[in-house]
Amino acid sequence: MVDPAKNLSVEIYSDRMVTVLVMFSIFWSVVGMLAGVYAAAQLIWPVLNFDLPWLSFGRLRTFHTNVVIFGFGVSALMGTAYYSVQRTCHVRLFSPNLAWFTCWAWQIAILIGGLSLLAGYNTSKEYAELEWPLDIAITLVWVCFGIVFFGTIAKRKIKQIYISNWFYGALIIVIAMLHIVNNLEVPVTLTKSYSLYAGAQDAIVQWWYGHNAVGFLLTGGFLGMMYYFLPKQAERPIWSYKLSIVAFWAFTYSYIWAGPHHLHFNAIPDWVQNLGMLMSIILLAPSWASMINGIMTVSTAWEKLRTDPALKFIVLALAFYGLATFEGPMLAIKSVNIISHFTEWTVGHVHSGALGWNALITFGTFYFLVPRLVGAKLYSVRLANIHFWLALAGTILYIVALWGAGVSQGVLWLSLDELGELRYSFTEVMAAMNPYYLLRFIAGLIFLIGALLMYYNFFKTIIGRRTIAVRPPVIAEAVA
Amino acid sequence: MINAPMKNTLPSCLLVRLFFQPTKIFTELAELTPPSSLVFFKAALWLGLLPPIFAYFGTNKFGWRLGTVEPIFLREEILLSISVVYFCVLLIGFLSSALVSRWMSKTYGARESFGAHFAMVTIVGAPLAVGSIIHLYPDVFINILVFVPVVLWSMYLLYRGLPIILCTTPERGMLMASSLIGYLLVAFVSLLGITVMLWINGLGPSMGV
Repeated sequence: MVDPAKNLSVEIYSDRMVTVLVMFSIFWSVVGMLAGVYAAAQLIWPVLNFDLPWLSFGRLRTFHTNVVIFGFGVSALMGTAYYSVQRTCHVRLFSPNLAWFTCWAWQIAILIGGLSLLAGYNTSKEYAELEWPLDIAITLVWVCFGIVFFGTIAKRKIKQIYISNWFYGALIIVIAMLHIVNNLEVPVTLTKSYSLYAGAQDAIVQWWYGHNAVGFLLTGGFLGMMYYFLPKQAERPIWSYKLSIVAFWAFTYSYIWAGPHHLHFNAIPDWVQNLGMLMSIILLAPSWASMINGIMTVSTAWEKLRTDPALKFIVLALAFYGLATFEGPMLAIKSVNIISHFTEWTVGHVHSGALGWNALITFGTFYFLVPRLVGAKLYSVRLANIHFWLALAGTILYIVALWGAGVSQGVLWLSLDELGELRYSFTEVMAAMNPYYLLRFIAGLIFLIGALLMYYNFFKTIIGRRTIAVRPPVIAEAVA
Repeated sequence: MINAPMKNTLPSCLLVRLFFQPTKIFTELAELTPPSSLVFFKAALWLGLLPPIFAYFGTNKFGWRLGTVEPIFLREEILLSISVVYFCVLLIGFLSSALVSRWMSKTYGARESFGAHFAMVTIVGAPLAVGSIIHLYPDVFINILVFVPVVLWSMYLLYRGLPIILCTTPERGMLMASSLIGYLLVAFVSLLGITVMLWINGLGPSMGV
């Protein structure tokens, strides 16, 4: 019998780089979370930086955010986009060689980028800290990602472009636009540049980038993942396809305006702040439309819960998605923001999205994907179930600890004494945070242990196996 | 087989037995359709009163302790207003959760008696209300330490009790309980948002805003 993988005349899906991207994504998740847990420990025991600049909190924290967002998150998005676009278009990837290039070049960029941050090279723009040579390298890889993705859509055999591809497509286009505009800078040396924008304009452009990176990467990109993998796992079509399309366009339109809520009570025009607040509140509607679509899809597939450990992760991810997309607009209201801004509440909010939504939906997707990629059963369903409870416990404990810390901090920052003076000093407020930092450290550790169990589970599932060859199905003329 | 008509009552000594025989209470409730007024006057009202009463006396005596040496004391009338608002919000929380639960019942194949949903929500809230005894010493961190295991207990009651009380399959019950958790998380974070909005409008500690 002829192996289809070796028979060049038979078209098969390009899945090998998907396996590599998934493995890298898990690797970066462990590295990034470890850095986060270590940075959390430093807040309690500052001595842990050993007076080494490379281990100082400022560098480690940036390393953590970049590795989890761009290493763990983008590798997962790239891998799942390549996997799903082939299956929704019934064709092999456009230029698999270029896809291989994006796969490896992205990992090299993350490695060099991460090391450069630890070495102290930093533009000081949040989530856009990498210096200009890396910005150019990332742009090149991203454009190639776009060519592979849209090239595959262009040669599709299915007329309709499935909803997950709209979200992945928006991710590619909008992130390219944000990355290029926000990183326009004047290089001074190979490792130092200055932003092309100045003062308040720089802040507005930065948070237009920052918030939409959250929107189109951490929300939109992962919604693409949800719209493909949830119906697949549930073995049901999406509950309302019409709603998914409406949600996509409403989401795309309203997200792009919301950035100024990061700059409330700052030196930007008041109307810009108010507009940012208003659009943030409107954003709740399209965000929840996708959540309802996901929950209703899974609600009809309840019998799958008996056998499928992955579905639990996705159900829970949707609950946390609902929480994070409600809390975000609420924190954007100026009368809440005045208390919550510059407190741990914001950090807790980010992690209810990052751990509860991004990580859990990715874990759920990987538990579905990895066994299928290598044509084997998951090594241990029991380990996956233990991982589920660890992930849930870690996320809840993290959020609760930082709610307590954040609300307390908000009161303490602003409390006045009888003379109308600030009642508490900065050091006093920071010292009051210590017990919460300990809880946060424990929560992060629990979450990390869960991720390590998953890594081991996948290692045992994959070891000694190769990615199996899958051919596109033969379709009827009427569909094409 | 002829089904016996469901009784319009609640299990006897509900709140006491709940802490020792939860499963028995669930199975007894599964065969009852308690009127919502009975659930309200026999259980929800009293449970809802506990946290504001504990918080009132605790804050009056010890002040809010937020980890600093000096606690924050509130003026008597502000403290009383906050306690009344707290009570109202808790009752709205109980009722709205029961309404949301009944709204979901068709999707998850659960029975539709509002009293049963109200009783289920009240049972889930009971450990939280009793655990609020820690409000007598309003140190926020200590309150969090006590509430984390109490919340886990409540979640256990929700996941275990919901499919039994509302007569649905365990898998559908699990999905419905997870959806309710989503709603409860949103309700809790709304409570935080409403609280800080009231603070900056004068109903709280003296703040420089």
